[in-house]
Amino acid sequence: MSDQPILQLRHISKRFGGLQALDNVDFDLLAGESHALVGENGAGKSTLMRILSGVYSEYDGEFLLDGQPHRFKSPADALARGIGMIHQELSVMPELSVAENIFLGRQPLTPFGTVDWRLMNERAAAELTNLGFPDVDVRRPLELYSLGIQQVVEVLRVITSGARILIMDEPTSALSPAEVDHLIMVIDALRAQKRSIIYISHFLEEVMRVADRVTVLRDGRKVATLKREETNADHLISLILGREIDARLPSAVERRNEQVMLSVRDLTSDAFRGISFDIGMGEIVGLYGAVGAGHFNVAKALFGMYRFDSGDIVLDGVPFPRRFSARYAIKRGVAYAIESRRKSLFLDEPNYRNITLPHLDKIGGMIPRPQRELAVATPAMRRVNVQPSDPRSAVGTLSGGNQQKVAIARWITHPPKIFIVSEPTRGMDVGAKNEVLGILREFRNEGFAVLVVSSEPETVLAVCDRIIVMSRGRIVAEMANTDAVNKDTLMRLL
Amino acid sequence: MTTGQPTAGRMVQPRTGVRQLRAALPIVAPFLTLLVLGIFFSVTTTTFFNPVNLNNILVQVSTLAILATGMTFVLLTGEIDLSIAAMVTLSGVLSAHLFANLGLREPFTTAIPLGVATLLGFISGVASTKFRIPSFMSTLAMSLVASGLAIGISQGRIVFQYSDVLRVLGSGRLFDDPANLRVLTVVAAICLLIGFLVLRYTRFGRFVYMTGANKSAARLAGVDTDAIVIACLTICGFTAGLAGLATVGRLASAQPQVINSFLIDTIGAVVLGGTSLAGGRGGMFQTLAGLLIYGTLRNGLDNIPALQVGAGTFFKEFITGIVLLIALVVNVLLSGRASRDKT
Ligand SMILES: Nc1ncnc2c1ncn2[C@@H]1O[C@H](COP(=O)(O)OP(=O)(O)OP(=O)(O)O)[C@@H](O)[C@H]1O
Ligand SMILES: [Mg+2]
Repeated sequence: MSDQPILQLRHISKRFGGLQALDNVDFDLLAGESHALVGENGAGKSTLMRILSGVYSEYDGEFLLDGQPHRFKSPADALARGIGMIHQELSVMPELSVAENIFLGRQPLTPFGTVDWRLMNERAAAELTNLGFPDVDVRRPLELYSLGIQQVVEVLRVITSGARILIMDEPTSALSPAEVDHLIMVIDALRAQKRSIIYISHFLEEVMRVADRVTVLRDGRKVATLKREETNADHLISLILGREIDARLPSAVERRNEQVMLSVRDLTSDAFRGISFDIGMGEIVGLYGAVGAGHFNVAKALFGMYRFDSGDIVLDGVPFPRRFSARYAIKRGVAYAIESRRKSLFLDEPNYRNITLPHLDKIGGMIPRPQRELAVATPAMRRVNVQPSDPRSAVGTLSGGNQQKVAIARWITHPPKIFIVSEPTRGMDVGAKNEVLGILREFRNEGFAVLVVSSEPETVLAVCDRIIVMSRGRIVAEMANTDAVNKDTLMRLL
Repeated sequence: MTTGQPTAGRMVQPRTGVRQLRAALPIVAPFLTLLVLGIFFSVTTTTFFNPVNLNNILVQVSTLAILATGMTFVLLTGEIDLSIAAMVTLSGVLSAHLFANLGLREPFTTAIPLGVATLLGFISGVASTKFRIPSFMSTLAMSLVASGLAIGISQGRIVFQYSDVLRVLGSGRLFDDPANLRVLTVVAAICLLIGFLVLRYTRFGRFVYMTGANKSAARLAGVDTDAIVIACLTICGFTAGLAGLATVGRLASAQPQVINSFLIDTIGAVVLGGTSLAGGRGGMFQTLAGLLIYGTLRNGLDNIPALQVGAGTFFKEFITGIVLLIALVVNVLLSGRASRDKT
């Protein structure tokens, strides 16, 4: 790592309508450095990186690359100058081979102008081996590999197109712990090649492992840039928030009614096998497993979004048919917040329409009235503390974490019989995580049944009454969530 | 974290003017195009800008407007219907056949063709949702079915007898007074208006947009996206049938050949207005703008004397094509610019 910054941002400000997303922010990056960017949801992290990577070309301030002023007009422009961004939602082509994904649009050609498959495969394999993944068969479709590998492939695509500065926006939020380790390995390898990495994350322990330096943003302003040695996770939290947080969840009240709400028996599909469990009224059950354990598919199956071959689902004493639609599930009182925002939200539509869509028949009949919709959506947004809180602005204008809150808010307007949430806190900052878990706890206390499906041990440990552990499509353990259960207990079962 | 406390940037006075203009661009752009075209033809020709000719434009786009109403629904869901031109032919031929050869009278000579066209649209919808055949394939096949039926029914002959309802619909004036608007223009306006109201204000309309914008998200929110797509293709079948009846009245005969320009003109007009082929964006208001642009363009070129004789007539198609292309590119650029900040 050298002391000469290759990139300097001076007094960067960016405004969206009436909202000052960035205010006079300075930021610099050294060659071969990994530099983490942390801050609350909506602090301006993604916005700053979008300026860096050419997505936004309108902003105030100075942008120096190798000491020369620049203003990128497009992401392609930025990439041509060596700055590449990896968005949280990957842009890989799952059906194409690993090698094709790496060289997408830049395939090496033979003298006859056809794709030189041999050369392409060789180079892809060499690059992967370099980063520590010699076992990947570059000729196979990318979709056969885990999300972690897909991400590495995306990293390779960006760096083989010449990026020396790599921006990663929340790269680990959907990765398993082992995959996170891999990614950190990759980052180390890239640093050794003198490339610089900017890394956005809400996981501060991870940040402390990866980063040479950390920049903290709060409310669009830079709070500090610190060397790793000068700080620790707790210190970072206090800088991020700038105030005390109340980390306590509402305490779990005694269950008054032990009646079973949801009962699942022998549910079997190609992704899971013989899944049986019950969830009682006023109970939060955690379904925990590594990424790919099949627990997300169980959740989808309960909502009619994944086909199962055999087994029974009984909700509130009434069985489900073998095949049913999401529509049917919603009618029966199932709510399901999926782990992927992109799959569940309409980014161009206003918040309130995203929230009321599943309930339009209850709210407005054939002719929905915006006033009544707003009356339903506004309190829901307030309850999960979406910021900025204007129900009429488009979801796409919210920060990632706040989008996730809208996805949750959608299901609390009309309390369901069972609330299934996959990765409820993905992409959320420390405070927001607590808020959402608090809401789940309140739900439980009010007597509703909740199923939390997650690959983050912290999440299930924080709120669940009982934890079911899945591995390779089967249930391998079930336990009450007592003080004796901790992260190690869970991870050892996988 | 205490609730209610703002966690994001602070609010400041927005620079409204520029920003609002920008946001409105995709909606304003088609009307600007219309204005520019109108001025252009008014200046370059002597015959364009007069009440009679402007009324002509309305008449010329009326049939198109009926077709475009259904097509807008279909495009909004992200699907496409390539069978409308054949449906127009089938519906007209069927009605005339029922009247002239089978001796049927109203309401059968309008109800049956409309019913058949609607049913075929429904079948295309079922094929493309329940059997997962992409709609451009299923409706292409349906187009062969419809034109085949039309040829079969008519034995390839032009039929000159048809019901009075078709005559009034296609060439009549309101209250039979030659000074009034054409019935067809009024029917077209009603179609557009109903389409507008349905899309803007009803739950069904909301579902149409959501289905086109993000199908998986719509499904996750409990929208029966298959039913929505089927409904839209059914609506499109109905409007094609209606346009077919009107066409018989307008041409004073039922022709067994498919007039392919109906398909291209309809899609061209809808997309010109700014409704996205990818679904989820656009609407009836935009379609109205697109229709007027398209009509003005066609009519305006007809008024340029040099294009009416000899080689000039060939140029007309060419120029229409080029202008269409330019208008489309401009539209895409303008709406793309406005939405880029949202990525
Ligand atoms: N296109 C946009 N239009 C209007 N406001 C926007 C737009 N993009 C971002 N914002 C606002 O700018 C602020 C900063 O958002 P940004 O996405 O940078 O946050 P972030 O730090 O990445 O948060 P998160 O951790 O939740 O991803 C937020 O208040 C957000 O609502
Ligand atoms: Mg972000």
